[in-house]
Amino acid sequence: MPLRALLVAILLLFAACAQPPPPQVDLLAPTEAQMKLRSLQTRAFEVADRNAAIRGVIATLQDLGFIIERANAPLGLVTAARFAEPNFRDVIGVTVTVRPQADGKMLVRANAIYNNQPVEEPEVYQNFFAALERALFVGREEH
Amino acid sequence: MLPDLRTRFATLATAVLIAGCASPTPPQEFFRLTEASALQRAAQTRMFETTNGRELLSASAATLQDLGFQIDESAPELGFLRAAKERGAREYGQEILRGVIFVIGLAGRSVTLIPVDLQQQIVASMAIRPVTRDGTRHEVRIAFYRVVWKGDGQQASQSSSDYTPPGEQRMEMIRGAEIYQQFFARLSKAVFLEAHRI
Repeated sequence: MPLRALLVAILLLFAACAQPPPPQVDLLAPTEAQMKLRSLQTRAFEVADRNAAIRGVIATLQDLGFIIERANAPLGLVTAARFAEPNFRDVIGVTVTVRPQADGKMLVRANAIYNNQPVEEPEVYQNFFAALERALFVGREEH
Repeated sequence: MLPDLRTRFATLATAVLIAGCASPTPPQEFFRLTEASALQRAAQTRMFETTNGRELLSASAATLQDLGFQIDESAPELGFLRAAKERGAREYGQEILRGVIFVIGLAGRSVTLIPVDLQQQIVASMAIRPVTRDGTRHEVRIAFYRVVWKGDGQQASQSSSDYTPPGEQRMEMIRGAEIYQQFFARLSKAVFLEAHRI
C-alpha cells in the first residue's frame, strides 16, 4: 500500500515536469492573468519631468548591473539586458516605458524576460520599483 | 529489509526528480541591490563639476573613438551612448595549451583540438545625468562587457559549466578597474575637469 502511494507520488512529480498545455486559439484576447500581470508591471511616480524619470530608470538599471542597449526620449523607452551570472549563457532582458498621465504623474511600465520566457514573479517588479523609487527620490540632494 | 531498501530507493528517485525540475537562479535575485552592485557602481561612476551635460557626452563619444570604439546608439536628451569595438581575441597561452593537448592526444592515437577564442567584441554602454537640482554636477556611469566567439576544435571537458561549443559565443562583464580608470582619465583630460570618485 505505501509502495502504491509512492508510485502515485512519483507519477505526479513526472506530471509536474511535463510540457505546458498548447496555446489558446484567441491569442490576442486579454485574460485575467494578463491584466493582473499588467498591474504588477506598472506603477505611477510623482515626477513632473519625463526625461528625469527616464534618466532615473537608466540609473536604476545600471545600479542593478544591467547594460543599457537602447534609450529613446520621445517614446520614453529604455531597453536593457544582463547575463544571469554566474551562468553567462542565460540572459535577462527588460523593457521599460515611461508615459505621462493626465493627473501629472509618470506611469512606468516594466517587462522582464528570462531567456525569452516572460517573468511573472511579483517580487521581480516589486524589487525593481523599490530600486527605482530610491533612484528618483532618495540621495539626489546629498550629492 | 527488502521493502525498506525499496522505499529508500524511491525516496532517492523522488529527490532526483525534484532537483531536475528546479531552475538555476530565480530571476528576482537579479533585481535586488546588493553590496556587489555598490562596489560596481563605485568603479563605473565619476562625478564632474559642470553644468554642460551635452559637452560631457560629446567628449565621452570622442574619448571612446580615441579608444577605437564605433558609436552604435545615442540619445543626447537622456545622456546615453553605446559603442562597440571588435578585435582579435587570440592568446598565446591558449594556442600553447591547444598544441600540448594535441600532442598528448596523438600519443593516445587520437586527434584532439580544443577550441580557442578567435574574436571578441567589447561593448561600452554609458549614461550621464545631473545629480544636483541646479545641474552643476553630472554623474558619468559607464559599463564595459565583452562577447568572445570561439572557433574550431572540440572541448575537452564538456561537463564543465563554462563549456562553449565551437563557433558559439561567451559573454562577460569587464570587472577589472583598469579599463574604467583609463577611460575616466582620458575623459577628464578631454573636458579639462577633474573626475571625482563617488
